[in-house]
Amino acid sequence: MTEQTQPNAVNSEAIAAFETSGPSAVSDCKGFEVKHLVKQYANADKPVLDDISFKVEHGTVLVVLGPSGSGKSTLLRTLAGLEPIQGGTISINEKVIDEGKPGTEKAGRSNRSSELRTRIGMVFQSYDLFPNKTVLGNITMAPVLVQKRDKAEVEAEALKLLERVGLADRKNAWPHELSGGQRQRVAICRALILHPEVLLLDEITAALDPEMVREVLDVVLELAKAGQTMLIVTHEMQFARAIADHVILLDGGHIVEESHDAHAFFAHPQTERAQQFLRTFEFE
Amino acid sequence: MAFDWSFVQRYAPFFVNGTLMTIFISVFGILLAIAVGLICAGIEIARIPVARQIVRVYIELSRNTPLLVQLYFLYFGLPKLGVVWSAQTCAIVGLGFLGGSYMAEAMRGGLESVPNVQRETAYVLGLTPLQSITRVVLPQAISTAVPGLVANVIFLFKESSVVSAIALADVMYMAKDLIGMYYSTYESLFMLIVAYLVILLPISIFGTWLERRFDYARR
Amino acid sequence: MHGAEILLQPGVFPRLLQGLWVTVWIAGVSVGVSIPVGLLVGWLMTLKNPVVRAIMRVYLDFIRIMPQLALLFLAYYGFARWFDWNLDATGACVLVFILWGGAELGDLVRGALQSIPKAQYESSYVLGLSPWQTFSRVILPQAVRRLLPASVNLATRIVKTTSLAVLLGVVEVIKVGQQIIDANRFQFPTGTLWIYGAIFFMYFIVCWPLSIVARRLEKRWSHD
Repeated sequence: MTEQTQPNAVNSEAIAAFETSGPSAVSDCKGFEVKHLVKQYANADKPVLDDISFKVEHGTVLVVLGPSGSGKSTLLRTLAGLEPIQGGTISINEKVIDEGKPGTEKAGRSNRSSELRTRIGMVFQSYDLFPNKTVLGNITMAPVLVQKRDKAEVEAEALKLLERVGLADRKNAWPHELSGGQRQRVAICRALILHPEVLLLDEITAALDPEMVREVLDVVLELAKAGQTMLIVTHEMQFARAIADHVILLDGGHIVEESHDAHAFFAHPQTERAQQFLRTFEFE
Repeated sequence: MAFDWSFVQRYAPFFVNGTLMTIFISVFGILLAIAVGLICAGIEIARIPVARQIVRVYIELSRNTPLLVQLYFLYFGLPKLGVVWSAQTCAIVGLGFLGGSYMAEAMRGGLESVPNVQRETAYVLGLTPLQSITRVVLPQAISTAVPGLVANVIFLFKESSVVSAIALADVMYMAKDLIGMYYSTYESLFMLIVAYLVILLPISIFGTWLERRFDYARR
Repeated sequence: MHGAEILLQPGVFPRLLQGLWVTVWIAGVSVGVSIPVGLLVGWLMTLKNPVVRAIMRVYLDFIRIMPQLALLFLAYYGFARWFDWNLDATGACVLVFILWGGAELGDLVRGALQSIPKAQYESSYVLGLSPWQTFSRVILPQAVRRLLPASVNLATRIVKTTSLAVLLGVVEVIKVGQQIIDANRFQFPTGTLWIYGAIFFMYFIVCWPLSIVARRLEKRWSHD
């Protein structure tokens, strides 16, 4: 089975790269951009996210750090369209996909189209596999239903993805038969098969036993090498340092420090807040 | 006095008829209960104002009063308002009124048990609201609701024994009648137990099979 | 609609309340005795002895699969002949409700006892608690929390099922209602509607608070 059946030339790049493990080209206009994003809940006196702006270049990895309650998860949820935004814009490749409107504080979700939603993938902290579908059923459902792709082609690609994450032999297993780490790897495959321009990972190892963290993070590292654009929220500092092209530190709904040199950020953080935050992970 | 097999043979056909009556009343009562339950659960999940309050009041009234009193009210009380129903209609409406609230609660419980992250994942994957409900939410809700629904079906079959009190010739009525007429306590009680085992054991076994069939975590 | 006046006739309401008292008394005694029986049954169910297990299994399954009315018939008509035991109607009701309540409660007790994590026993042991201290200070309080909401629900079910006592001839609220209806047949032809309506709400007033308590307990303790 070859990849020429993949319909979306732009999106398939990341997958093709994932499979060949080669870096992909970075062009200027491509990427995922957030401008002046504001997220305000009803009955709250101040916004959870206040004037957030950043750009994730195509093929790079942004790691979002911050203490709990800083708004990291909310940021990812707004980007995925799970929460409507009250100000600013979210755009992919300079095309605006979500625009903030005041008065939507109580609304459930943004009114993004199905097609737009498939362009941003997300993996949650808690296991979110559908318990009523097998591993293969979980992965193939959305491409067949939403992207109207051919079932045989989708299954072939699903198998290839499962092989990449080392789970080809579990394709017919039910989610409850898998370990936490295996479930998260399947969840990553399920997001990838839609060929999203950007993949959002929301503390995907936080609920895992320590010995399973590595197998999941290895998959993510390999994805990064293959040029998958990603936005990652994590508490694994070693991993963050290894994978980040670009780091932002969030606190109280603001970006307190941003760096395009991850090694410099971890070695010599500029702001006092960042120094203090990083110290909480040290034991001397 | 010893057990009289010839009595059992002679009167077994009565119990067969009674059993058929029990099944007839129960099946229609349960179908009505499921319909009422679906409507009520739908109204509660959709949060339709006013209708929702009415459903709440109905559920509380239905769950906190005995079927016997509900039946007496329907059968003896309502005719005074000009509403005259046959004993069969009263029995089916009574079971539907009682069972509707239990079915509604089981269905609502199933829908509410589906974690929010499942709906969110369906959304992020681009599924439409209808696809999300039919492919993700409902299959899981049914899996959680099935044990409760099965328990309700068995409960309503058992409750149907109360309809003998409004002179419907079900199994219970047959037993009472034969004891009263011939003082045949052993034989009648024996046939009563056999009749209920014949009705309820298969349902109970089928229910267990159904629960396993819908339990994604075990099959 | 002036039939409602039947409820205001002298003596009608007090008599209905007296009947209701009989209902509540039967239910109360049954629930009260069911609790120790249920604790015993629950404990027996956790035993490994195969004979005890089999007996408990048959007992629970039989009680569960038979309609309560059939059980009442068995006790009232059957016991009298089998054991030459002259049980009156009220006694038959109380006996059946205790056997039924004991079985249901026993199953709840078993579930509650088995749901307590092994670590609770182990940490009690490590802390030096005696077996009795472990049971009374650690296990029981946790079991009760899991037990209580369902037990209150069971009490509601027993109160409702008490209505069946009238079919054995116990003079409780429904029987009293029927007597009042018969006595006023000519004076208040529509009395039936009002009396049964009143009984309907009397049951509701007894059972509803119990349901609310059960729900509250469930909500409060489900997050522990």
